[in-house]
Amino acid sequence: MPDPFTLSVIQAGLENAAEEMFAVLRKTAMSPIIYEVLDVGTGVTDAAGNLVSSGAGIPTFVGVLDKAVKVLVARHGDAIEEGDVFVTNDPNYGGVTHLSDVVIAKPVFFGGARVAWSASIAHWGDIGGKVPGSMATDVSEIFAEGLRLPAVRLFKRGQPVQAVFDIIETNSRLPEFVHGDLWAQVAASNTAESQILALFAKFGREAVERAIAGSFETGRARALAGLRTLPKGRFEVEEEQDDGATWRAAILITGDRFTVDLRGNPSERAAPYNTSRDGAVISSQMIFKALCDPDRFANAGSFALLEVITEEGTIFHAGPTAPQGYYFETRIRLFDLLCQCMAKAMPGKLPAGSFSSIFGTVIAGRHPDTGRRYTMVEPQMGGWGATGERGGMDAMFSISHGDTFNCPVEVAEARYGLTVVQKALGERPRLEGIHAGGRGVTLEYELRGPANLSVGYTRARVPVWSAPGLPPGGRNSMHILRASGEREHHRFVSGAVLDAGDRVLVETASGGNAPT
Amino acid sequence: MDRITRRVATDVGGTFTDLVCFETDQDTGASRIVTAKSDTTPPDFEKGVLDVLERGGIDPSGVDFLAHGTTVVINALTERKGVKVGLVTTEGFRDTLEIARGNRPDFFNLHYEKPVPFVPRHLRAELPGRMTYTGEERTPLDLSGLPAILDAFRAEGVEAVAISFLHSYANTAHEEAALAEVQRLWPEVSVVSSHQITREWREYERTNTAALSAYVQPVAARYLHRLDEGLASRGFGGRPYIMQSNCGIDSLDATSRTPISMVESGPASGIWGAAELGRLIGEPNVLALDIGGTTAKCSLIENGEVRIMTDYWIERSRKSAGYPIMVPVVDLVEIGNGGGSIAWVDDFGKLHVGPQSAGALPGPAAYGKGGTEATTTDANLWLGRINRDYFCGGDIQADMAAVERSIRSLGARLDVGPDQAAEGIIRIANNNMVNALKLVSLNRGFDTRDFTLLAFGGGGAMHAVALGQELQVKKVVVPAAASVFSAWGMMMSDLRRDYFVTHLVELAEGAGNRIESTFAETEAKALATFAEESVGADQITFLRYGKFRYQNQEHTTEVLLPGGAITDASLARIAEDFHKTYEREYTYRLDAPVEMVGIHLVAKAEVGKLEMCPEQSGGSDASDAVKGRRMVDYALEGKHEATIYDGEALRAGMTFKGPAIVEDSGATAVIHPGNAVEVDAYRNIHITLEG
Repeated sequence: MPDPFTLSVIQAGLENAAEEMFAVLRKTAMSPIIYEVLDVGTGVTDAAGNLVSSGAGIPTFVGVLDKAVKVLVARHGDAIEEGDVFVTNDPNYGGVTHLSDVVIAKPVFFGGARVAWSASIAHWGDIGGKVPGSMATDVSEIFAEGLRLPAVRLFKRGQPVQAVFDIIETNSRLPEFVHGDLWAQVAASNTAESQILALFAKFGREAVERAIAGSFETGRARALAGLRTLPKGRFEVEEEQDDGATWRAAILITGDRFTVDLRGNPSERAAPYNTSRDGAVISSQMIFKALCDPDRFANAGSFALLEVITEEGTIFHAGPTAPQGYYFETRIRLFDLLCQCMAKAMPGKLPAGSFSSIFGTVIAGRHPDTGRRYTMVEPQMGGWGATGERGGMDAMFSISHGDTFNCPVEVAEARYGLTVVQKALGERPRLEGIHAGGRGVTLEYELRGPANLSVGYTRARVPVWSAPGLPPGGRNSMHILRASGEREHHRFVSGAVLDAGDRVLVETASGGNAPT
Repeated sequence: MDRITRRVATDVGGTFTDLVCFETDQDTGASRIVTAKSDTTPPDFEKGVLDVLERGGIDPSGVDFLAHGTTVVINALTERKGVKVGLVTTEGFRDTLEIARGNRPDFFNLHYEKPVPFVPRHLRAELPGRMTYTGEERTPLDLSGLPAILDAFRAEGVEAVAISFLHSYANTAHEEAALAEVQRLWPEVSVVSSHQITREWREYERTNTAALSAYVQPVAARYLHRLDEGLASRGFGGRPYIMQSNCGIDSLDATSRTPISMVESGPASGIWGAAELGRLIGEPNVLALDIGGTTAKCSLIENGEVRIMTDYWIERSRKSAGYPIMVPVVDLVEIGNGGGSIAWVDDFGKLHVGPQSAGALPGPAAYGKGGTEATTTDANLWLGRINRDYFCGGDIQADMAAVERSIRSLGARLDVGPDQAAEGIIRIANNNMVNALKLVSLNRGFDTRDFTLLAFGGGGAMHAVALGQELQVKKVVVPAAASVFSAWGMMMSDLRRDYFVTHLVELAEGAGNRIESTFAETEAKALATFAEESVGADQITFLRYGKFRYQNQEHTTEVLLPGGAITDASLARIAEDFHKTYEREYTYRLDAPVEMVGIHLVAKAEVGKLEMCPEQSGGSDASDAVKGRRMVDYALEGKHEATIYDGEALRAGMTFKGPAIVEDSGATAVIHPGNAVEVDAYRNIHITLEG
């Protein structure tokens, strides 16, 4: 039996492996959405796919990789060999999110046995499909959203499967970026693999497996300690959405269980606003973690007390052909809905609502100075909710984001050849005697050459929620200001044609208010 | 006539101001080290420096060279003791400082609080005028609003002005014009523009750097001025040199203009010392490890060169985004793991060491000043690694009863006895440090077997062998007088400036000239600045680095460029050097176009270094240095009876084997069983791990 300090040393080593994967991916990636927005997750799992450690930039990616690896294990089982590397991006094949997010996973073998996995997920700039940037709004099936990679081998016994590389590069509008990002993810997996193997070699398989089991127990114990501080009971919430539909959720809290019940929600749509069941589980993990153990420490044990009930065929549990390109707006709306539910159940314990939209903004075109193709994929920042103690934070990325960095204006102007006219804190109404929600952002891009715009956001019609009895926060909006002087409002749009001199004006919402 | 050369290093720390004086007799070559300590005297820090000179019996008029390190800048920042700053920036972007990067490292926490900007919104003003990323003027600068802005600043009690415009790294004209106009309209105000500090892109980082520099400028300039005057009034004939964050020293006047460059000067002198010592003993590849009371710092030296970066942040952690400062800082990893780091057990039964420190008060339990929590030092005492009868060089009677209580109570929470608890503290602390060392070495593709681990600071030698064994380094070296090693490093420093300039160039036909002209321009500027300080061109050496990446990437890899003018004929070799360096660090290379993002030029001039005189070997017998034997617990290797050597009695040529302990008044070296030790001609201890 290894002593407790040896176990601690091994656990620290496993955490470092995932962190280091993240560092490698960040430094080598080609797409700004990876290296700047850090729309990336890295993780180490055990042989069966249970999350051991993670190095995400975005919390909603923490719980993705275990689900992907489990699908790989289920599909390939004993056929998985040393030196194999797998790729998947399809939510029906363990991809969880949308086709733009590509998972690369490598099994780690020690002494001939599979002992662990190192995996990463990253948003690629273009995976084919109807529009540049692969974020079409006018699609009714997943087939139109881009290339589907159904949990297949990218390497077999250390050798690249050239056909798959070729298919990927042929299907992307940005083959050189995709090639660079793919290799960055493979390098990240290799880095973690060597660190994991060093631990096995030094301490032996039994000790490492005990360390992993011990860290699952710690994850569970931490969550349980937090769960015990929450009010017991069944809490319900419903909210009207921008499209007029009503969404509902119930949270049932007992001494050792946190259940999110999502039954009774609208049917899936023939539009890219559905999420896989795994996506709904991640929203539930987010509220669970925020309430029970908001530290960054997370593994399979951290979520062992969480149960999620969904109904197949609804927007929260989409079927096999449902498009999911903008799943993230649905997922963040659900996370925000669950926050609202618990804010009501525990007055004063959670901040009021935030602008809570990813507000993915994609501008694709040719650089006016170099003639090279570019795709700008950026989320937007907005206002966060106030708490009983203070006003809300100004200009933050969404509650689904984490260590996400905005692109510096100086870098954006060089890279995309457009001009950023202003990037400022937004206005909000003056309200006395309350803690005001944080300010949103006003951001204005001016095009120097023709380009395509895809953008989608929610909280366009129904404003941000405040504490009961207080005026609501703001609404998100986006306009195209044509060089001709016309002004167009858009909510979800893809393939909108922009010309030199046209401007895109983004104004994100201020956060919800709270009493003093 | 006095034929003794005196070189003095003074260092203002949070609690104490330290002095180390190296005296060399020109006739005999004999040398002597004088050390002294006095209290730090805020807010008049210069007083502490003058005090410590007096206490050390040093007459400033007999000092040939004086180097000075100070934490005055970092303290003013972290304690928020700077001045009120007004910021002038580009129209449409006054909120850049507050929007920052929008990130939330503590990403499950819905109560995250964003760092508050150093300049509030009502003191951030805008002027029309725009440059492009290629440095062309798109909209002329309109200064007509400046008088009203400055009036408002005056009315608000602003004491320093920062100017930062978009793309000023590419074209400085607008910033220069605004700077001149501020100086004309308000001559007495302290003012700085961003391009004076850095020519790199990323507007938030550069603007914050300018704002923070303005924030500390009056404070630091006042302090440096008083120091200069105080030394002169006591007869010092020269000018003090000021330690910088880039491992160099700089003149007092240059430092007063942009004092922000001192921000991380504390660890820089020791790391530079490691590079210099490596050169002296023929070990150009060094892992430098400095373990102090609160933190451990490590840095990698490749082929005698330290790595300098501009990606420095204060107050950044897993809980906070922090604040960037874009100045040249030696690349180091610092962790909260020093002699005073507190060992604690979390709610789930896991042992941690640090980052909280017992500090100077109450200090480790062994100080007997009321400390009840076990620290790394207490564990080292309990295990016999530190001599309980010679604690802190005999200055403090170790309170072993308090040590025992603290370790037993920690053990009770872990359900283990005191020996195992103390071993646990050492193992966890060592593991934290091993991981930090890996970050600067293995994780960047360096093979630690090619490196010598050089350990200094009060605690370096205590842990070095265990860390070196884990990393399989070539050998471990503990310098003579390890506890004053940083001061030694300061005396070995060059007058050094690092210039970073962003300039995007694709490595294709015509690139040679463009790269060469960027270097030539920057070199000319460096020469001109040095000339103003009477340092001639013949004294200056340049090192040219380029920052490269595959086209479309963001992050860059720095590569040392070949000597001589760069032409298109050099490009193939440069590209190959980049591919190689990239592959070493990331395990693969791409067949993709390469671009240069900017240059990094190092300009340095020697201002006279300490001459080290080797000592004749007196034979290998070390028995004269033996002062006894005692049981020592080596944690992973168990308990052994170790021979104890007096570090001050070691002489060149002596050899001995572990298990052993080497003690002097400032540090303890733990030599493990199986290690072989040899003392070199400068009395440094070389430890071969598998003797």
